[in-house]
Amino acid sequence: MEAESTENAIETRGLTKRFGRFTAVDSLDLEIARGEIYGLLGPNGAGKTTTIKMLCGLLKTTDGRAQVAGMPAGDRRASADIGYMPQEVALYEGLTVHQNIRFFGRVFGLSGRQTDEREEELLEFVNLAEWRDVLVARLSGGMKHRVSLTCALVHSPALLLLDEPTVGVDPELRVSFWDYFTRIKGRGRTIVITTHYMDEARRCDRIGFMRDGRLIAEGTVPEIQSLAGKEDLEDAFMVLAERSEGGEAA
Amino acid sequence: MRSPRFLTVTSRVFKELRNDRRTLALIVIAPVFAMFVFGLAFSGEVHDVPLIVVNQDQGAAPVPGAAIVSISGKIIANLDTKTLSISTESDPAKARSDIEDGDAYGALVFPEGFTASVVSEPSGATTSIELLLDKSNINVATAITQAVNEALLETMDQAGEKPPVTVDMVAVFGQNAKFMDFFVPGIMAFTVYLITTLLTLITFVGERTSGTLQRMLATTLSERDIVMGYAVTFSLIGMGQALLLLIIAILVFDISVVGNVLLAFLVIALLAVVSQAMGILLSSTARREAQAIQVLPFVVLPAFLLSGIFWPIEAIPSWLRPLSYLVPPTYAVDASRAVMLKGWGVSEIWIDIVALLAMAAFFLTLAVFSLKTRKD
Repeated sequence: MEAESTENAIETRGLTKRFGRFTAVDSLDLEIARGEIYGLLGPNGAGKTTTIKMLCGLLKTTDGRAQVAGMPAGDRRASADIGYMPQEVALYEGLTVHQNIRFFGRVFGLSGRQTDEREEELLEFVNLAEWRDVLVARLSGGMKHRVSLTCALVHSPALLLLDEPTVGVDPELRVSFWDYFTRIKGRGRTIVITTHYMDEARRCDRIGFMRDGRLIAEGTVPEIQSLAGKEDLEDAFMVLAERSEGGEAA
Repeated sequence: MRSPRFLTVTSRVFKELRNDRRTLALIVIAPVFAMFVFGLAFSGEVHDVPLIVVNQDQGAAPVPGAAIVSISGKIIANLDTKTLSISTESDPAKARSDIEDGDAYGALVFPEGFTASVVSEPSGATTSIELLLDKSNINVATAITQAVNEALLETMDQAGEKPPVTVDMVAVFGQNAKFMDFFVPGIMAFTVYLITTLLTLITFVGERTSGTLQRMLATTLSERDIVMGYAVTFSLIGMGQALLLLIIAILVFDISVVGNVLLAFLVIALLAVVSQAMGILLSSTARREAQAIQVLPFVVLPAFLLSGIFWPIEAIPSWLRPLSYLVPPTYAVDASRAVMLKGWGVSEIWIDIVALLAMAAFFLTLAVFSLKTRKD
């Protein structure tokens, strides 16, 4: 293996994904440091989910390379360090909350007791302790999202890949999610998160704007604001998107 | 020591089934239902076939001056009343029209002077009776013909007449075997094959559409772990079903089992492994749960018709027969039948076991591969 910087949790070079003639992700270069919260922003179809899926090894890359947790993306040894929360709920509806969490805990090699301890702590945090023995099928959409997040966190992964974790979650809980993210970041965890909410972007250490599979701007929020000359992130995105298109035309 | 990772999948699938009463009911009730439906409907014997007897014979004295006897009456008395439901009629034309109207399947007509002609004919000459048959239903027509023939032989035997040649049947296997004895291994294999394939197919399409499959694949579980986890689950369920079927077959249908039942279970478990691998494989052709139903005819029909459950493979046209050997239940039916009816052991059925093992290896590999190719 080539010598890679061990500082970074994620490094990609020219990462590309094509589905037939459609290019979903177009030579993406990312460097995400350990202990960083990185937000991937952009409209639907920008390539955020495809990027996340390549990083956790669910999609093969067409071109370029990606290092995740010090290993090539898709290497199963890296999986133990990754907590992936997909966009869709992706839970066993026929199992209870507890049974779902237990399954994902066991899959990552946790003992029954370890899983139970983590479960108690996490259900307290997502406010679902009373729903422990209820079938997931009976829960509301927002509750399912919270259980899904719990399943991604159960094995205390060093790197979290969260695909729109706050969709359908009420504002109050969204705030507590972010408090939690900041807290575990303090313990050296890296979090990559995709989101539509610009207010959430402000809580990221750095954000990357994606459009048509490409990273059109990257930096801290103040950096992005000054780059675009706009205070509002949504306006900033529009300006940067236009600029990138102009650059293409030139 | 930590148990193998695939067992987490096994235990999860079992929990899902335990929570899901409907599916649990399918697993338990379907075999029971299948056994009763097949067992009662296909008892293999024809009963109570309406047959009209027209006896115009008046009887005759065997030697002049002796008492009058009626050979036709004796034959009628010897007709098997379990197979036949006999009514009498005096007019042959009326009997014929009854058959034409569908009120009877056959009519047996003894002509006038039948006994006289039998008694007076020199030996070697023959006298005939007429049997009108509705041959549009072959099974029933055959049953009537057989019953009439048996009654004739019986009557000759009572009269001390012997046919010139007789056949002595010696049962090498299956002494006192009934049709159900032959049928039960087939029902076992078919039910387990069908339910296992269906259940895996539906469960796995669910895993694909809900995103849980992707989620599992993003963990430390490998494609092989997932397939293995499912294989263990469904082979255990398959064995449970086989056990249930066998208990009903023995208690209710009174079948006799000669050989080692455990060996038959092993064969059925192998079939379940092959079936679940096929289910996973087929699930890759369906994008929604509803689409899974479209593959159903291709799962059910070949097994139903070609695997020797209802009729022997020898009864399948020779050009079609190679296909029989591509259908997994064929080997399980053959092997479990040989074990249960003939008492054969591994040394005799090893070819079936090898075939099932090869199919299991083949389909399991393909199933694992089908999960991998989703990553493109």
